[in-house]
Amino acid sequence: MKKKKMIISQETMDVDFVRKVEALSGTSVRRCFQCGKCSAGCPMATFMEHPPNRVVRLLQLGQWQRILAGRSIWYCASCETCSTRCPNKVHLASIMDALRKLSWDAEGASKESYVQLANKLFLQNIRTYGRQYEMRLAAVFNVKSGQFLKDLMLGPKLLAKGKLKMFHSKNKNMSEIEKIFSRIEAMRKNGEAL
Amino acid sequence: MEKPLNYSYYPGCSLHASAGEYDLSTRELFKALNIQLTEIPDWFCCGATPAHNVDELLSLSLCAKNLELADQIEGDVAVACAACFSRLKTAQHVLGESAVKRKQVEKALDAPLKLDGNVKHLLEILAKDFGLERLAAAVNKPLTGLKVACYYGCLLTRPTDVPNLDCVEAPTIMEKVIEAVGATTVPWTHRMECCGANFTLSRPGVVIQLTGAVLDSAKAAGADCIMVGCPLCHGNLDIRQKEIEGVYNVQYGLPVFYLTQLVGLSVGLGSDKLGMDAMIVNPTPLLREKNLL
Repeated sequence: MKKKKMIISQETMDVDFVRKVEALSGTSVRRCFQCGKCSAGCPMATFMEHPPNRVVRLLQLGQWQRILAGRSIWYCASCETCSTRCPNKVHLASIMDALRKLSWDAEGASKESYVQLANKLFLQNIRTYGRQYEMRLAAVFNVKSGQFLKDLMLGPKLLAKGKLKMFHSKNKNMSEIEKIFSRIEAMRKNGEAL
Repeated sequence: MEKPLNYSYYPGCSLHASAGEYDLSTRELFKALNIQLTEIPDWFCCGATPAHNVDELLSLSLCAKNLELADQIEGDVAVACAACFSRLKTAQHVLGESAVKRKQVEKALDAPLKLDGNVKHLLEILAKDFGLERLAAAVNKPLTGLKVACYYGCLLTRPTDVPNLDCVEAPTIMEKVIEAVGATTVPWTHRMECCGANFTLSRPGVVIQLTGAVLDSAKAAGADCIMVGCPLCHGNLDIRQKEIEGVYNVQYGLPVFYLTQLVGLSVGLGSDKLGMDAMIVNPTPLLREKNLL
């Protein structure tokens, strides 16, 4: 995809997609004039195939499939430096959130699976336990990502320091969290929310 | 006699697990300063980065739910974790600005929103509500000679207009707090650079690189230790420090303290009440050398 020639015409511009991103993020994509300040301050730009300013430019040019298929959006650390420094008040960190959501909803559009897996397990934990349990999160992540030995040496050290809890309690108000999750699902089904 | 300060306390998930020493030292320090903390009963995870990354509505709803739970307790909401702090403040900001999102979250919670509670990071409580002068007056063991690199990371100050804790690009609140209890601070380049945050789980290579640069900068500035107000920053700087030293073949040996541990030390709390034994990089040699133990 990266080396493929980019064709830009009236047909490839997708204003509807841009509008969707703008509605989700509450910020303007079209206001960006490519000064590059976001990419200059981005701590993660070196890990991305498209640095932040290019993500916005591709979006403006209707090339959103390239963004959703790539790794860039998943390598954003949400440090908010870009949003803080943008001279045009484009809240790029929120645009990244919106793009991740759209990629997430499209299920597996991106090549970056580890970050998505970690997010998925994190959210599942909230739904099941109400809170995050790091030990469970790390263990399940290792199993599901097939990296059984990842950070193996850290485990005993953290246990000895009391940093990993083997057992945990459940919130008493768990039914409330389940209701929040299911109400959101229902709203999306009925088209009341993106 | 002044009325004692009262807060509802939102520790967040990390403080009940990997950052137990942050929870312990917060409770002990606030008790010593006669500031009352009441933990919000049955609080939920704020959703942290993963929730807002892929599902803003869920993130806003979880935060609004927690603010509703906090509303049962008198006083402002005290938050220890920089990420929880950022999420709760962001939810208040976004829901205050967007009527559409507000309506959606109301529907998700099936209740009117109670968003008015003042959300405050511990730093703000110490520096502003309690006050630097009173803090200085509470010191029994000044941290004289201890050179501290104050690490803000990302979410205590950014983005503009949201946390409103201090200046977004050149904050001084951490330095003010720790200087008030006698420590010396060092100027350094990476105090607001990202540590790699939750990539520690999915892509640890990112953390090795970014946190490595932070440690390197603190060391080059001549710091004895690093002070943080975020359990994720702490995890990366402390737990992964040895691994980073191995990768780059360097020696940092920088103990990483939570702000409540250092301030607690200065008001005379013992290291058992500050969870010093839970730190991976052992702080004992440094604290002995500075006559602080």
